[in-house]
Amino acid sequence: MKQRSREYRRRIDKALATPKLQDALHKFGDAYLVSRGKAFANYDFEAMRSEISAMKTGVRENHTALLQQFVKNAEAAGATVYLAKTAEDANNYIAELAKQKGAKLAVKSKSMASEETHLNVALEKAGTKALETDLGEWIIQLAGQRPSHMVMPAIHMFKEEVAELFSKETGKTEPAEISHLVQVAREQLRQGYLEAEIGITGANIAVAETGGIALMTNEGNARLASTLPKVHVALVGTEKLVPTLKDATKVIRILPKNATGQPITSYVTWIRGAVPCAGEEKELHIVLLNNGRSTLAESPQCRDALNCIRCGACANVCPVYQTVGGHVFGHIYIGAIGIILTAFFHGLEKAAEIVRACIGCRSCVAICPSKIDLEEIILSLRETVGEEEGIGVGKDIVFRKVMRNRRLFHGLIRAASLMQKPVTRGERSIRHLPLFFSSLTEWRTLPAVAEKPLRDVILHQPQKVEKPRYRVSLFGGCANDFLYPELGLDLVTVMNAHDVEVYYPQKQNCCGVPALYSGDKETAIELAKQNIDAMLEGNPNFVLTTCPTCTMALQRDFVEHLKDNPAWAAKAEKLAEITVDAAGFVVHQLGVADQFKTSASGEKVTYHDSCHLKRGAGVWKEPRQLLESAGFDLVEMAHADRCCGFGGSYSLTSHPEIAMRILNDKLSDIVESGASCVAMDCPGCMLQIRGGVEKQGVNVRVQHTVELLAEALKNKP
Amino acid sequence: MVKEVKKNFVSAAEAAGAQVVACDGVKQAVEYLAEKTPGILLCPAFASGERIDLAGQLRRAGITVVDSDFREQAPTAQAGVTGVNFAMADTGTLALESTAEEIRLATTLPEVQFALLDPQKIYADSLEAVEPLRQLHLRDPRNYIAYITGPSRTADIERVLTIGVHGPKQLHILLVPGLSESPLEM
Repeated sequence: MKQRSREYRRRIDKALATPKLQDALHKFGDAYLVSRGKAFANYDFEAMRSEISAMKTGVRENHTALLQQFVKNAEAAGATVYLAKTAEDANNYIAELAKQKGAKLAVKSKSMASEETHLNVALEKAGTKALETDLGEWIIQLAGQRPSHMVMPAIHMFKEEVAELFSKETGKTEPAEISHLVQVAREQLRQGYLEAEIGITGANIAVAETGGIALMTNEGNARLASTLPKVHVALVGTEKLVPTLKDATKVIRILPKNATGQPITSYVTWIRGAVPCAGEEKELHIVLLNNGRSTLAESPQCRDALNCIRCGACANVCPVYQTVGGHVFGHIYIGAIGIILTAFFHGLEKAAEIVRACIGCRSCVAICPSKIDLEEIILSLRETVGEEEGIGVGKDIVFRKVMRNRRLFHGLIRAASLMQKPVTRGERSIRHLPLFFSSLTEWRTLPAVAEKPLRDVILHQPQKVEKPRYRVSLFGGCANDFLYPELGLDLVTVMNAHDVEVYYPQKQNCCGVPALYSGDKETAIELAKQNIDAMLEGNPNFVLTTCPTCTMALQRDFVEHLKDNPAWAAKAEKLAEITVDAAGFVVHQLGVADQFKTSASGEKVTYHDSCHLKRGAGVWKEPRQLLESAGFDLVEMAHADRCCGFGGSYSLTSHPEIAMRILNDKLSDIVESGASCVAMDCPGCMLQIRGGVEKQGVNVRVQHTVELLAEALKNKP
Repeated sequence: MVKEVKKNFVSAAEAAGAQVVACDGVKQAVEYLAEKTPGILLCPAFASGERIDLAGQLRRAGITVVDSDFREQAPTAQAGVTGVNFAMADTGTLALESTAEEIRLATTLPEVQFALLDPQKIYADSLEAVEPLRQLHLRDPRNYIAYITGPSRTADIERVLTIGVHGPKQLHILLVPGLSESPLEM
């Protein structure tokens, strides 16, 4: 294992051994969603974020012209503008300026760009002390750490630690009371503003129309830092550019609401040019930081990341972030956007570990105020890392040599069904594995490979449909096929009851997502082609899926992989068009949701939203509607749409220790709901949740919605 | 409509931690300031204040008023008072054209901030207020414009909301009809 990987593992272990951190981040995650909901109560978030996305995309496309406009206007207003190509350029410019001014002290308000360039270190070397004045940043500075959240840098620290740091600073014992500590900061930092020769800030927005910047703070420190010292340096990433004051206002309207659930920050400060200062003119330097941003703009797969307005929401809702915090899940910038920015601002090497830490649940995509498909971009980076560093010998052989050869792949799974007998003891779940495999079943059981896969048993399932309404093909996916064949048979029951005939094309293969998620796109493309041919054979009316990850592959990924291939693009589109998840099909295409009416037992059922069904396919009402109309007593659990921690190889090989924590959160929510059954629409989630339930001895059934519908039909009077 | 906007402004400003006081006129505002000013009050020059000789009225009400040497005096003053260019109802936000340094010193350093707002100048939200914001940018070649919502706050220690970390600990918004009609004027 590489040294880099070992250090990464150590950071994970350390974070996991800090339950207080997880507790704090979970509580924050919950409180955030509540206040965010209130903040957006009278606003249309979807409309707002569409506007931001379109505006920022426009900025990216007209960047050169807008940047010129900004510089021209800023200079006309008396600012000095410096275009820094790299972090080093920016630091050198500012350090040189500090030397020139003979500055002993620079007061800083919060600036992620200065964290990005490690400006404080450069200033210290030039003999200027940099004093952070944002409370969180000051705490971090005293502790000698880096921020673990973009908006709340010290979210990982507790008042006792802060009291200790402050006591060292004041030389007396400061009690660990938050209001007292805040007062200590006020008193300690006040003199800094008055003495400093230079004030350094970032900027949330740079407005081309005016050549001005806008700063958003709650504490008022940016106002002091930009008012009292005679020199003001604003270090601004070039992606902060917007065309007009109206566009800037739109950013201001969405950013704090999405960042912390605050309607607006206490202060929004619009600064243009050299304003009056102590009877003279202020010296304003605007350092526009490129540092990898133009490279990012040139990457078609990743450039949407430049639309980011730095609200940090992608971390707030991320189950991985909530489990390990920003010191693991990030470098300088944290969370999903942090992975991407790190790759471009600090190099692929720095991002190579964390690019695999994303579980792919898309909760960040759903909350992003700039509508960035963060998951897609992370996947494409993972592919790049895969190309550069390889995806691991084991995976390489599995994907390239085995999966691409369907007969070999399926032959090996069938063989496994026989070989597993000593560990399954004839049961459907594997509770313990011997020796070095034992860690795989430490925290969840694993399903045994079925004796006969769905593709075999379905052939012997009699289908009595006299006048078929539709003829559909079932895309089983590996789990439904080889682990849970009974699920496929239940689907046949449900479909037949509504005059739908089900076929199972025998040449279908793995959907390719496991390969794609591991960074092997080539295999994913090969599998896409195999599946398109297999599923379109016989010209079915629809292709049904029982696994939302497969659904996304058929509906979205295949099209994306093959869009530039004239031989395949149209076929991929065709398959995407007719692919529907089972619950959605029953509700929308068949329109028979009410025909299950009150046939079930009235059992209390709670529903777990699978990530790719809700945030990929946009399906979450449908299964609930079906369960209720089938007579189940549906009760909502807390965090119903939070990831269960499966993530395919994420929970098996890459990050099982994180996956386990996320699963435990899910199990607690299930138990607290009081339901005796948890329903879901994804065999991956079933594997994970059933595995946890069995291992922990929780008395809850774990079923696919289709299985419960089949059950209801059987009970139908 | 105007009433509705004013009502929204008051509830949003209060939700952000500001104290909003409706006054009949300048006289009542001065009385409120006399009662609430904890020590030295910074009173920088601003158009609507000059028109009513605000500094004079405050002095006559017995307040220790500072209206010059702000760099010297501001760090030890307890309070500051200014007018307001315009306000935004949806978030309870004040806009202060603060290019004159005295305005900034009076509203950043002391612990208590008083703002005199003519309720005629409240816009429904910040998008409506883009127009006056742009007018200010067109009028002056350089700007320092502050949007202020409630007192200074932080939640940086254990996410516990705490007031007054660097800026004012109190924000008193005095609604004074007839003070100033133009959003371009403070």
